[in-house]
Amino acid sequence: MKVEFWGQEFEANMIVGCIGGFLIAVMSSMFGFGGGPFMVPLMTVGMRMPMYIVVGSSLLAIFFNTSMSSIRHFQFGNFDLILFLCMFPAALLGGYIGPQIAKRVSPIVVKRVACVGLILLGLKLLGLY
Amino acid sequence: MKKKVKLLKMVIVLAAWVLLAPGAFAQGQEVPTLQIDKTSLNNGGVIKVTGRAPAGQPVYLEVWAADKSVRANRFDNKRDPKTGQIPYIFYLTYDMPAYYKIFVPADQKEKFAELLKTGKNWSYSEALKELGAEAAYNVPAGMQIDSFKASLMASVIGSRGKLLEPLSDQENKKRSMQLVKSRFKDLDKVMGSDVIVNPDGTFTADINIRTGLAPGDYKIVAVTGDNVKSSPAVFENKISFPRVYLKTAGTSQNILWPFLLALGVTIFGVLMGAGGGFILNPLLVSLFPLPHTVVAGTVTPTVLFSQGSGIYNYSKIKFINWKLGIGIGCAMLLGAFIGPKLTELITLDQFKFAFGWILLVLAGLMYWQTTAGYLSKNKKEQAILKEFKRRAEEAAKAKQ
Repeated sequence: MKVEFWGQEFEANMIVGCIGGFLIAVMSSMFGFGGGPFMVPLMTVGMRMPMYIVVGSSLLAIFFNTSMSSIRHFQFGNFDLILFLCMFPAALLGGYIGPQIAKRVSPIVVKRVACVGLILLGLKLLGLY
Repeated sequence: MKKKVKLLKMVIVLAAWVLLAPGAFAQGQEVPTLQIDKTSLNNGGVIKVTGRAPAGQPVYLEVWAADKSVRANRFDNKRDPKTGQIPYIFYLTYDMPAYYKIFVPADQKEKFAELLKTGKNWSYSEALKELGAEAAYNVPAGMQIDSFKASLMASVIGSRGKLLEPLSDQENKKRSMQLVKSRFKDLDKVMGSDVIVNPDGTFTADINIRTGLAPGDYKIVAVTGDNVKSSPAVFENKISFPRVYLKTAGTSQNILWPFLLALGVTIFGVLMGAGGGFILNPLLVSLFPLPHTVVAGTVTPTVLFSQGSGIYNYSKIKFINWKLGIGIGCAMLLGAFIGPKLTELITLDQFKFAFGWILLVLAGLMYWQTTAGYLSKNKKEQAILKEFKRRAEEAAKAKQ
């Protein structure tokens, strides 16, 4: 599929994009996360799109995923209103404070810290310690 | 003549009943009694139960939350040893008491400790049999349980499958035990050996109600080994703000903790460029007694708003390729239709196991983004990104 972006034309491999997107959507809706960190590598590496197209467009694709996933979870009775009401303001507040701090810290340091944290959390879930 | 024989028969039956019935009553039909020392608790505490049962009988106490019930489900995909087939049946009930526990006599303590050692592979029906507590298992046996025949096709279209015929009473009891296990997970949550039975038939028990349980009325019934029940004693568990009852989780929770957790995680999520769900979900299932289905189903809509505002901001500066986004978005719609169905079919342990691996992969991706090769490539891309953003903003301004 041909994609035009700010006067430049790109060839997007939609077969890779759709199959990858489908699998990421099943996984992310099953476990209840957004899926952004998996979508960006899929579109940049798997579909060979430049980063500046991917940031906005992947967000749009994920929005479809999250909306459908929310509806389905609601249908199956997995939605707890009170828990939602106490986390939702926190998410809004966090989304406001986050970018303010982001200007002052190095993204590489944050990612390395996140990397260590994720490994520890992952190993804990696997029951290794 | 015929009439006389009939009359004679009736007299014999009546005589036998009159003679034998009081004997039966005297031997073990004596109804146990029980009293409790307080009628209300404040977010858990200890209730002292005293009572009297026929001497020499074991006494079991069945305690449950009488007016708060929750959903419990279990997917049976274990091979049946008799038929050699995998049943693929999904059992679902909405009547599971938010709290349920059977207390057995303290002299069973050693046997109980032995059962606790089996760890995660305990069987509720065997534990009840082993401790002789089958007579005390009554409330969950009467739950309304729906069973669905799951199939691959049904899962693909995101349905629970075909609703099967209602279960027989015996089958209902058997399945209800498995649902109790899938709901409460640990043996020591549903059984304890705290009833001290004295030789004269009196008994005492200190029943410890944990913090963080459902509010409302709880009932206690004493059952003797001969399956004779006392009338229930009722006490109320009270909770007060900021502790609130989570209906789908069946537990009460101080809401400040999820709030602070969500706040911390979203801030960190913004910094590392990944949504908070990755960290929030595993922390919520590890730290709080929440079912993984509820965690997944509640965190998902939380990020919806921030995604929406992100899309709005990018669209203002024309930074979204709608064709590409919607194209992949449609494939993702299909995937998201199926995913939540699968969440129900897995157990908490499977959820944690899979999530553990996902986090390790994510950690790998994060590390890859800090390698020199990625950074130099990213630098170029970021420069282009900035340039495009500047142009986009100018274009947007020029329009105004």
